[in-house]
Amino acid sequence: MSEDRNEMPEPEVDTRRREIAGVLTGEFQSPSPDQVLENVLENVLLFLTSRRDRNAVSLVCKSWYRAEALTRSDLFIGNCYAVSPRRAIERFRRVRSVVLKGKPRFADFNLMPPNWGAYFTPWVTAMATSYPWLEKVYLKRMFVTDRDLELLAQSFPAFKELVLVCCDGFGTSGLAGIASKCRQLRVLDLIEDEVADDEVDWISCFPESGTCLESLIFDCIECPINFEALERLVARSPSLRKLRLNRYVSIGQLYRLMIRAPQLTHLGSGSFSSSDIVAQGDQEPDYISAFAACRSLVCLSGFREIIPDYLPAIYPVCANLTSLNFSYANINTEQLKSVICHCHKLQIFWVLDSVCDEGLQAVAATCKELRELRVFPIDAREDSEGPVSEVGLQAISEGCRKLQSILYFCQRMTNAAVIAMSKNCSDLVVFRLCIMGRHRPDHITGEPMDEGFGAIVMNCKKLTRLAISGLLTDKAFSYIGKYGKLVRTLSVAFAGDSDMGLKYVLEGCPKLQKLEIRDSPFGDAALRSGLHHYYNMRFLWMSSCRLSRQGCEEIARAMPGLVVEVIRNENEEDKDGFEILYMYRSLERPRIDAPEFVTIL
Amino acid sequence: MAEVDTAVIKPEMMKSYIWLQTADGSIQEVEQEVAMFCPMICDEIIQRGMGSSKNNAITLPQRVNPSMLSLVLDYCRFHQVIGRSNKERKSFDEKFIRMDTKRLCELTSAADGLQLKPLVDLTSRALARMIEGKTPEEIRETFHLPDDLTEEEKLEPLKNITDDPRIRLLNRLYARKRKELKERERLKNVEVEEECVDDRSVDDLLSFINGGNEDSKGVGTSKNKKKNRRRKDQQKNTSSNHAIETTHKKESNCLKSVHDDVEINNNLQSSPSERSKLQDIQDDMFSPQANFEDGDIDDEFDPAIQEKIDREVEDFERILNSDWPERMLSLGRERKPTVISANGNGSLSRDVSCFTVPLLTYNCFRFHCDTHYC
Repeated sequence: MSEDRNEMPEPEVDTRRREIAGVLTGEFQSPSPDQVLENVLENVLLFLTSRRDRNAVSLVCKSWYRAEALTRSDLFIGNCYAVSPRRAIERFRRVRSVVLKGKPRFADFNLMPPNWGAYFTPWVTAMATSYPWLEKVYLKRMFVTDRDLELLAQSFPAFKELVLVCCDGFGTSGLAGIASKCRQLRVLDLIEDEVADDEVDWISCFPESGTCLESLIFDCIECPINFEALERLVARSPSLRKLRLNRYVSIGQLYRLMIRAPQLTHLGSGSFSSSDIVAQGDQEPDYISAFAACRSLVCLSGFREIIPDYLPAIYPVCANLTSLNFSYANINTEQLKSVICHCHKLQIFWVLDSVCDEGLQAVAATCKELRELRVFPIDAREDSEGPVSEVGLQAISEGCRKLQSILYFCQRMTNAAVIAMSKNCSDLVVFRLCIMGRHRPDHITGEPMDEGFGAIVMNCKKLTRLAISGLLTDKAFSYIGKYGKLVRTLSVAFAGDSDMGLKYVLEGCPKLQKLEIRDSPFGDAALRSGLHHYYNMRFLWMSSCRLSRQGCEEIARAMPGLVVEVIRNENEEDKDGFEILYMYRSLERPRIDAPEFVTIL
Repeated sequence: MAEVDTAVIKPEMMKSYIWLQTADGSIQEVEQEVAMFCPMICDEIIQRGMGSSKNNAITLPQRVNPSMLSLVLDYCRFHQVIGRSNKERKSFDEKFIRMDTKRLCELTSAADGLQLKPLVDLTSRALARMIEGKTPEEIRETFHLPDDLTEEEKLEPLKNITDDPRIRLLNRLYARKRKELKERERLKNVEVEEECVDDRSVDDLLSFINGGNEDSKGVGTSKNKKKNRRRKDQQKNTSSNHAIETTHKKESNCLKSVHDDVEINNNLQSSPSERSKLQDIQDDMFSPQANFEDGDIDDEFDPAIQEKIDREVEDFERILNSDWPERMLSLGRERKPTVISANGNGSLSRDVSCFTVPLLTYNCFRFHCDTHYC
């Protein structure tokens, strides 16, 4: 026993002593790492937030499983039918934030009959009693009722963030409940939802004494709002940074809001047109100054009914913009050029194809930092002329080398341009090319688009999401199967020659999670070829393909952990025929809330 | 070896020291200002007056062995100096945590025992970094952990029918009640109290316990939803669609059965007690004769037993509360699937084929449950 000051006993001596002491007391042995770590595992896990890490941790051993379950605070459920609320709640006891996704994406395009499912009710009911400290709810493609919102507002005193994306089933009366009861609300984001007009003035329902609102997004609401109430709301929300208005807010009203909230970082500009005819000589507000005063503005959207004359108002903020959404703005090439020439920092850009190839060339010339581009069609019919083409794509590929994500609608395309993009933009993670018009080949060579997409999977080593279109043979699929080793999401329409196409993909892409196919000639044999993989996928959607009911039944029999839904068109008389196969893995029994036109095999 | 009274700090004299004892029995002297950096030691000194001499040395938690203590004190010695810049501290920290995994774990544990949060966080972060990106197997290797999850547990299989706690509880309840009944029959003597034969089903009993709330079943009208999705449809259409609708109208929901389902559930939530909604559903969903054959529940229970059963039933209630759709299904397993009908404006008729999925096969599928949470 050393009594020397500042001197630690020699470790070796001490070890021996320790061992002796340990033997005597029976207490002090060097604890196994397992035990040592267990003392502090919960602390360590606080610093692990990624879902994948958490899932890995939970599979290490029993004690880690328990510790992880107790400490997971962000719950993500990619398919609301894969897990039941009870199961999730029993395992994860201290959840603060929940992400739930419901319907598959093709439901957005009216390919799925309404009332298919994805109800929020059982979830909110279960969480109401089990997660009293819930703070955040993020829902995508779920059916949410006003009562659900009411229950949510009542049950979670610490509730802070509600984000609803592509949801429906509720109306402004549900919003009123949220606004009035969630006193800690910081974020209310409604993105591409269908919100019923209950003629309730929900904007007036926020607390009178001031709010903690940081983000208020309601550009999807298709009914007027009480503007005076909104103005007062903005005035008493000093933390507001993100505000996206719907098209019932005129530019004059926008002005009034902007001067009250120059601290905004994200602005959705509403209609960007005047509500009344402005007579000659009338004094219009100084829109340019209002924009100039918003020094922090980095993200601009809206322009729902734009009068292009007002466009110069945004010039002062262009240089700072990192995100610009013109996807509702019907502007031409020149109008775009006047704006885009200032946008050097732009990283995200959404636009209508009304700007033509030349507009895209201007983008390519200026926006060297561009990470994400989406070009939407203003006229989505099959046979229209199409203002953008391979020329625009080529230009973008040459000018925007850092591009990571692209969604491009066009009427005509060439392999050469797609190949060029695959070589120039090697950082691509998302490549979605939509050649409108079925089975369109390379319009210069007349060949299928196989080589183009093949080059994409070959050269873009980070690619995880792919949507293909145009005339495609099984060869394209063989490329995807061969090179698309990281592909997680694949979207196919009107493509392929035979079952081999689907087989290539199912056998070749180990990371495939979400596969959506429509109108392609894949049948039961192709379906069978994926049996080894379906449990690793979140879902498979096949509509208007060549499947038979027996084929689907076979799958259902072979794989009890899959829920195999066959969905009829509502009108269809033939009870055996079906349009859609939608299947997904699940830990639960098949759902009981399925509507009549859904048969679960 | 003069004993210094360290209860009073004498800055102008030599440094004060305190005495610490580790679990192995060894005692050492440590500069007080360094040791006091640890809240646990601080408490012992100030609140309990310990540490002033070898005889009342502060006993450190078991997980603080001498070599760990040494490390912790190194940490404290550095950080308790006030003048250091953030940069210096950060640099020290980065070097400090460079050690093998085993020692890092021990250090984290020791720091935790001494309640030294900054060090706990520092070491925890380091450990978290060692875990990030690894597979479970790799993590096990790194930390020398046993692989003691069974295959079954990794796959999180669904429980067997008889395993389901709800069913088990219910069965136990019945068994008990049946037993009571038999007991009664056997012991029955001439002197009979007023017989109030209670032939209510368990459902009724539950509702009785709840005070039997009224049925709140008005189905709300669904909304009339129309929406013009002109450009929106087109924009989102990623397939060359021969039939791109330029407008999209959602017709007013004509009370599809599933919507009723949802509505009923919603309506029930507005009833005063949350629990009552459950029994409402029970009353509605089950044809009385189908399930609970021993509907003749006994009359008078021994109060103690009654209490116990009440508590069990309440527990049962609570479990049921969170998951009524699953429960419907689970109880449906016990009997032939019937048409479920609900009061209210709609009827839920379920295609019987829903229930024909073989249930026991659910025990053996082969994918990791965790992928559902990812």
